[in-house]
Amino acid sequence: MTALGRYVRVIYEVARKDLLVEARSKRTINAAFVFALLIVVVFSFVFGEQVGDRDILARGALWIAVVFGGVVGMSHAVAREGRNGALGGLLLAPVDRSAVYLGKVVSSTVFVAVVGVLSTGFVVVFLDYAFPPDTLPTLLVVVVLAAVGFSAVGVLVSVLMLHSGLQESLLPVLLIPLVVPILLSGTELTRPALSAPMTSAWFRILVTYDGLMLVAGWMTFEYVVEG
Amino acid sequence: MSIVSVAGVSKRFGAHVGVSDVSFRLADGERAVIVGANGAGKTTLIRMLASLSRPTSGEIEIGSESLVNGRAGVRSRIGVLTHETMLYEDLTARENLRLHARLHNVEESVCEELLETVGLAARGSERVAGFSHGMGKRVALARALVHDPDVLLLDEPYTGLDRSSLDRIEAVLEDLDDRTVLAATHDLERGVRLADRILFMNDGQLIEDASADQFSSVEAALNRYERLCRGQVTRAEAAGGGCENKNGNEE
Repeated sequence: MTALGRYVRVIYEVARKDLLVEARSKRTINAAFVFALLIVVVFSFVFGEQVGDRDILARGALWIAVVFGGVVGMSHAVAREGRNGALGGLLLAPVDRSAVYLGKVVSSTVFVAVVGVLSTGFVVVFLDYAFPPDTLPTLLVVVVLAAVGFSAVGVLVSVLMLHSGLQESLLPVLLIPLVVPILLSGTELTRPALSAPMTSAWFRILVTYDGLMLVAGWMTFEYVVEG
Repeated sequence: MSIVSVAGVSKRFGAHVGVSDVSFRLADGERAVIVGANGAGKTTLIRMLASLSRPTSGEIEIGSESLVNGRAGVRSRIGVLTHETMLYEDLTARENLRLHARLHNVEESVCEELLETVGLAARGSERVAGFSHGMGKRVALARALVHDPDVLLLDEPYTGLDRSSLDRIEAVLEDLDDRTVLAATHDLERGVRLADRILFMNDGQLIEDASADQFSSVEAALNRYERLCRGQVTRAEAAGGGCENKNGNEE
């Protein structure tokens, strides 16, 4: 097998392992699911009928649920890597460690995208808001792109926090400010009134953010994990 | 020929020095045990040799390849068993081994042999979460051997194990007589039985590198270590690697 083949195989194996472990334990997705649900329900209780513009309420609730649900999920996922020093075993693989990073970004993207899709459902049910059917493909693309960016920065920060005893409290403090561009661009790109969202500046910001964070993580992961 | 070469390796954690200017070489097939009190720097040294921690300064070579700045492939020559099992609790023993076999690009069939070797073939389909500490350690030893490494690094391999697991792990290690083994352990008796050389560490420094044959008993080795730590070994003794105590008795 070529070096590139081994590299891609490690990405696949790490992502596959994460998804298999999650399918068994359901710890990460359950935690994120409940948190996202609570956020949308609290929004519906607090704002209810008082907010005239349902569109603003729905988009705000959706992206806050995605970001906070994602943080909770990320925290659980990394705690699993810390248990028994399991991450160390992955780092012993004889390939560039950025492959481990990319594998974890892939699995994390799946989790965050699932949280995004579930949160969309919660918004529809609990805020009684129907996303216009013609915006759904855009919504899906934006949720996936947001999940990629969130995971790219989230994996790096959460692994950095892994050896800190304050991981649970420090992770949101560090991660949420870093994903503000996702929150802003996600909210803007899911505005029903936005014409041609895929060519808007917000879309370019989101794609650029994803690219920058992936490159930054790819370049620095080895130094972050070696301590 | 040296397979492990450690040259002037230091590790700092802020102001604290974990390992200070440690140098030694291990020949192919040689077995050494690192002895030292808690905080002596044993685990830090093992982690650097396993490439899990980057030295602040110095060089580590496996074969003739740099572990610090060399290519990642050199890690295929190292097997690591630490006090943490590095296993996923929600996967079965077999799944954990297969994962590592695939990461190391080796045939998965080796996993069955290894489960047999560590005495867990019948329980390979059980999740690691349900295993005792000793069973987890045995699976971890199988994980460390899955890619047939030339160098085996062991950090406290015997800690917290019951008699059965101790015997099994000791038997497996004894059978690996063609591998280079470096073990850090508090269990000096088993460590000395395993090793050809004893590396004494204190406060992050390698204070003596002695042949295990020099010591007639574990007590003699311990006695030597305590005297080294207290600075009671004379310059002449240290230079000659002599093992006489103050009464002139051979240790």
